[in-house]
Amino acid sequence: MVASQKFSDAEIDSFGEALNDTKKPLKARFRALFILRNIGCDRSVDWIGKCLNDESALLKHELAYCLGQMQNKHAIPTLVSVLEDEKQEPMVRHEAGEALGAIADPSVKDVLRKYAQDPCPEVSETCQIALGRVEWVEKSGKDTNSPYDSVDPTPSASTSDVEELAATLIDASLPLFDRYRAMFSLRNIKTDKSIKALAQGLYCEDSALFRHEVAYVLGQLQSPVATQELKDRLLLSTENCMVRHECAEALGAIANEECTEILKQYVNDEERVVRESCEVALDMAEYENSDDLQYAHV
Amino acid sequence: MSDDHHDDEHFHTGDSGAAATFPKQCSALRKNEHVMIKGRPCKIVEMSTSKTGKHGHAKVHMVAIDIFTSKKLEDICPSTHNMDVPVVKRREYLLMAIDDGYCSLMDPESCEQKDDLKLPDTELGQQIRDAYEKDEGSVLVQVVSAIGEEAILGWKVSTKE
Repeated sequence: MVASQKFSDAEIDSFGEALNDTKKPLKARFRALFILRNIGCDRSVDWIGKCLNDESALLKHELAYCLGQMQNKHAIPTLVSVLEDEKQEPMVRHEAGEALGAIADPSVKDVLRKYAQDPCPEVSETCQIALGRVEWVEKSGKDTNSPYDSVDPTPSASTSDVEELAATLIDASLPLFDRYRAMFSLRNIKTDKSIKALAQGLYCEDSALFRHEVAYVLGQLQSPVATQELKDRLLLSTENCMVRHECAEALGAIANEECTEILKQYVNDEERVVRESCEVALDMAEYENSDDLQYAHV
Repeated sequence: MSDDHHDDEHFHTGDSGAAATFPKQCSALRKNEHVMIKGRPCKIVEMSTSKTGKHGHAKVHMVAIDIFTSKKLEDICPSTHNMDVPVVKRREYLLMAIDDGYCSLMDPESCEQKDDLKLPDTELGQQIRDAYEKDEGSVLVQVVSAIGEEAILGWKVSTKE
């Protein structure tokens, strides 16, 4: 049981209502979501869970993502039911599986083992990695070491040799868990060279899940050095929408003029997830460029 | 957010040839530490960090005081970006004379003379002048230098003969 210290129930309910208000623009609902994510209490979890039957796959995947990042065990039953629900979009089920890994409670190992065999590759690959994380946390007792306020799906690798990490990253014969570890190390090293090496992951055709994670991590880095690679994958209409979506949001985080120009071109994309991602990404870019201290404010 | 915060390749060098600033991740900075804001060496007096969004980025709001002018400056920077931190050096000199607004100083250890610093034209400068003219002991002035700038920022009367 996690309780909120700073907000009254009535305040939390008002954020929850804003999140669940389908008449509000998506970007406003996203900001409400992140207020609840940062509060983290059971009541916030319930409000986020309530929204999981929304029409927007983008919003639903973000809800599941936040439930994982909050690391509140109260969210486990909700996340398990999303993972089990085959009517939910793959990107939403993926995010539920990853969230269970982020919470890393040993009680979810069986369900993760089951969905590690799911016919949908985004779901099965996610559950394999999530299972690896739960076992890793169990064994080492340690959490991941992200310099960002985020829980990584795997720990970072033990080496800091950029060339070795770059080779591991794009080696399709290795388990995704190990390639993810290389990914987070390249992120943490954070030189132009390591970022360029990381961006090469966007061209690994063996796994859409992997490419989407690379795009997310490039969004964390906010480096214009990777703009071209992110643009390449957003522009590719045959690319998995989960990858295109993550590229759009990464461009929104880089937030320079070149990136916002690209996002404006795709804000009317045929694919709903891409369209909505561009809308949210442009809102994020506006925040990054503003003097506002808080993204998630009331 | 503007890009000029993480220009870490770009070092200003002081007269010694050593780097006058070094990069430090914004989130690692603390109150009372030094940082460059808008090209000025400052001391941080207030810091607050935002909550985060999707990528886990936080912004840091800093209020700082220019160490030379005492002017208040503010900045908002992403917590993972590098900020320039000025190398701030402090040295004490013995005040030998005040001549035409300039101080004649001597390093008490090396006995080297230094005559290029102005007596501050502030209340501090007046206090130093008064103490010097009272002649109740040797006046030691504190000289602070950063990014090639140098000024007298403090003083005391030496107790030892």
